[in-house]
Amino acid sequence: MPVPNSLRCLVRPSTGLPVSIPRTAASLGVPSAGLLGTPLLAAASFSTTSSRSEGASGIAKNHHRGGKKTFTVKKKAFVLERGKSPLPGERKAYRKRIILSNDNALAVPWLTDLGPAELSNENNVARVMGIPEEVQDQLRASEAFKTTQCWRMFRKPAVLVRKETVDLTRRMDRAAQNNEMLRLVVTGDKVAGKSLMLLQAMTHAFLNDWVVIHIPEAQELTTACTEYAPIPNTDPLQYMQPVYALKLIQAIKKANEKVLSKTFTRNAHPHLPQNIPANTPLLTLANVAKESEAAWPVFQSLWAELTAQGVARPPILLSIDGLAHMMKISDYRTPAFDLIHSHDLALVRLFANAFGGGLKLPAGGAVIGATSRSNAPRCPSLELAVSRREVEQRIEASSKAAGSGSGAETTATATEEVPQRDPYFRGYDDRVEAVLRSVEVLRVGAIDKNEARAVMEYWAASGMFRSVVDTKTVTEKWTLGGNGVLGEMERASLLSMRM
Amino acid sequence: MATPANLLRLCLRPNRRLSTVYSIPFPRPATSRPLSTTQWRGKIIVPTEEEKAFTGEPGPDIRNPGEFLAGLLEEEDITNEEREEAQRMLADWEKLDPKVKREYDTLREQVDEGTRGLRALQRVKRSTFWHEDEVDNDMLTDEVGEDDFEEDDIMAMGHAKLEEHREFREYARLAVWEMPLLSRLAKPFQPPTEQEILRFRYTTYLGEVHPSDRKVVVEFCPSDVPGLTPAQQLKLKKLAGARFNPEKEIVKMSCERFEHQAQNKRYLGDLVDKLIAAAKDPTDMFEDIPLDTRHHKFKPKIRFPKDWHVTEERKKQLGTIREQALLLDESKRKEGALVDGVRTIQEALNVRVDGPVLSLKGRPTPSLRASR
Repeated sequence: MPVPNSLRCLVRPSTGLPVSIPRTAASLGVPSAGLLGTPLLAAASFSTTSSRSEGASGIAKNHHRGGKKTFTVKKKAFVLERGKSPLPGERKAYRKRIILSNDNALAVPWLTDLGPAELSNENNVARVMGIPEEVQDQLRASEAFKTTQCWRMFRKPAVLVRKETVDLTRRMDRAAQNNEMLRLVVTGDKVAGKSLMLLQAMTHAFLNDWVVIHIPEAQELTTACTEYAPIPNTDPLQYMQPVYALKLIQAIKKANEKVLSKTFTRNAHPHLPQNIPANTPLLTLANVAKESEAAWPVFQSLWAELTAQGVARPPILLSIDGLAHMMKISDYRTPAFDLIHSHDLALVRLFANAFGGGLKLPAGGAVIGATSRSNAPRCPSLELAVSRREVEQRIEASSKAAGSGSGAETTATATEEVPQRDPYFRGYDDRVEAVLRSVEVLRVGAIDKNEARAVMEYWAASGMFRSVVDTKTVTEKWTLGGNGVLGEMERASLLSMRM
Repeated sequence: MATPANLLRLCLRPNRRLSTVYSIPFPRPATSRPLSTTQWRGKIIVPTEEEKAFTGEPGPDIRNPGEFLAGLLEEEDITNEEREEAQRMLADWEKLDPKVKREYDTLREQVDEGTRGLRALQRVKRSTFWHEDEVDNDMLTDEVGEDDFEEDDIMAMGHAKLEEHREFREYARLAVWEMPLLSRLAKPFQPPTEQEILRFRYTTYLGEVHPSDRKVVVEFCPSDVPGLTPAQQLKLKKLAGARFNPEKEIVKMSCERFEHQAQNKRYLGDLVDKLIAAAKDPTDMFEDIPLDTRHHKFKPKIRFPKDWHVTEERKKQLGTIREQALLLDESKRKEGALVDGVRTIQEALNVRVDGPVLSLKGRPTPSLRASR
């Protein structure tokens, strides 16, 4: 029995309140603490009432019976060893990298490289042809390749020559011959190959020594993700984007090195950071842009030189992807915090001007814009203009056919009505419609079975498609791919995990 | 004619009262409102004239036939015959022995006292668990003495079942014998003439009163209106606004503003006249306003494409295409130009294994060995 309890046995029950002896006192060996039953606290003599002093209750309160103390072992937090995490920007670089070759893929023996006239040759329709190394670099420099395209599966980049390709390149050639400007919008369904059509046009331009100015994503210019500044003495006020301009100049320089080094300035450009006299290669002029401060004046000078009349100049291809982003009100703000129309941004204005027909090039050229079906803001004016131009083109073609004698199809298309604005819809943009009023529209549709066969034979010969490419397989994949939508066919046969 | 029967009738007349055993149904609201915090209240029953006249207890002044007859004579709306009769009877009453009259009084008081319990107003107990005393109108029988079997007849439930059966048969007879006669009333359909451009629709609830039985709907096609130029037709469509259906080219208007169907129809007819007159008015032809069809959603009609029908010609065409495809495959196979993905890979592997053999740790590489 512990000491305090045994001592409690000696306490007379008549004292009422339970009185306990503090453990400290007991352990310190307080001399015979109340052996005669006198409690430790001073009780009044001759009183039968129980003591209710502060001290008594205090003692009672302090007393606590030590219960069983539980000792819990805390679990250590589980630390998952993830290894080294990627450095800042590394993930994005991984995501955005462009891989153009695959050493594990088989080399296709019959694959030939494209020559300057191959893409406009009708005999090459439904043939897969390789892109030459030099052009690969040029295309890479102007960011024509995209991560969503399947370049990384094959030994070297190759493209399928389609009917639309030949049509497009012939139009480009015709424009260059006549010193005219081809103004064209490439449209079509999702993953039908609009961006690739743009890439083929650029390939053709590079092969034929054109100057190519390519804007890989129009949204980079209009979604307020790059710096901008007003250009003084412009009315209406325009805005330059110096950082993007620098990037663009560098891309132009890298991609068109050969052509620019053979083209010389007509005028001197003394206002630039580095004095450029007349008869200097344009490459030198482009090299002046080292920092974004000087980028815009350099770009202006470069553009003025490229479009200078009366001297030998190469044809120019202006190409832009994601056209809808260019045809909307941008996310930039004026100093008065009003939204800026995209066409008031100087770089975009250049393209809009070209689409509208306000640009005269000395050696002709082309401006080609590709719409997008996945990353595109709703742009009713663009949709309307494209559909309207398509119908107008059909009507023109049918009237031409009627003029030449065959009037069978004329009745079918002559009844077609040109789409008009919905009078009660507010979202139209007059500036956009004015720009797109007279462009040509090229619809990239589905490929036919010959083309499908050609591309599937290329896949199989590369070791990426494990099946015999006969009519049955081709028809099967063609049907699975939405009756010949090239991207869907790729998804159905190349990108499926089934081996 | 102081026959005893008449006398007795008259004597009992002051004691006549309505039966006081009302069964007051448990009042319940017809449609129970959910989540109402207000106390429901029963319908206030306004007593009819007759109920007001007979309040149950006779007036304190009428205690014997003499007093009643005297009161009757004072009333003005009785016939002369009745008056004579009443006078005669009053004279008879007066002749009676006062002892008899007193006996009558005591008898009346005793009867009053004895029937007091019966006359007390009986209320249905509201708080009963199943509302047992409530009247249920949906039952076949009235449930009074239903289970009493007198051994002379079938029970009440049986009678009720028979009654139900009779009702069914009545309607069956109607259906068989009288409904076919309705066809006599049928009129042959006559398509509307060119002059009848309005089509009206009425609603009937077969004799029931309904708030929308007065509604009239009119439909017409603006191009059917005689004597309208295309410009006037367009103006008419614009004036009709959201009542114009651009898909069917029909203007549809309704009216239920007035109490009677005929009034509503008249209003619609006048309105159409007004619309046509306004459309013909050349002062403002609304040329600057395009036809507004935002109220209407055009549904694309999906039809099976004509080109997809497998006709005999198409079958032949497909046959030739397939034949050519097979021939192409066959010729390619003969030439060795048919590309086989699996074989290509295999060949490439065969070329590669000439070098050092790769093998997985601890495992043979059967496929490579087999290919060698």
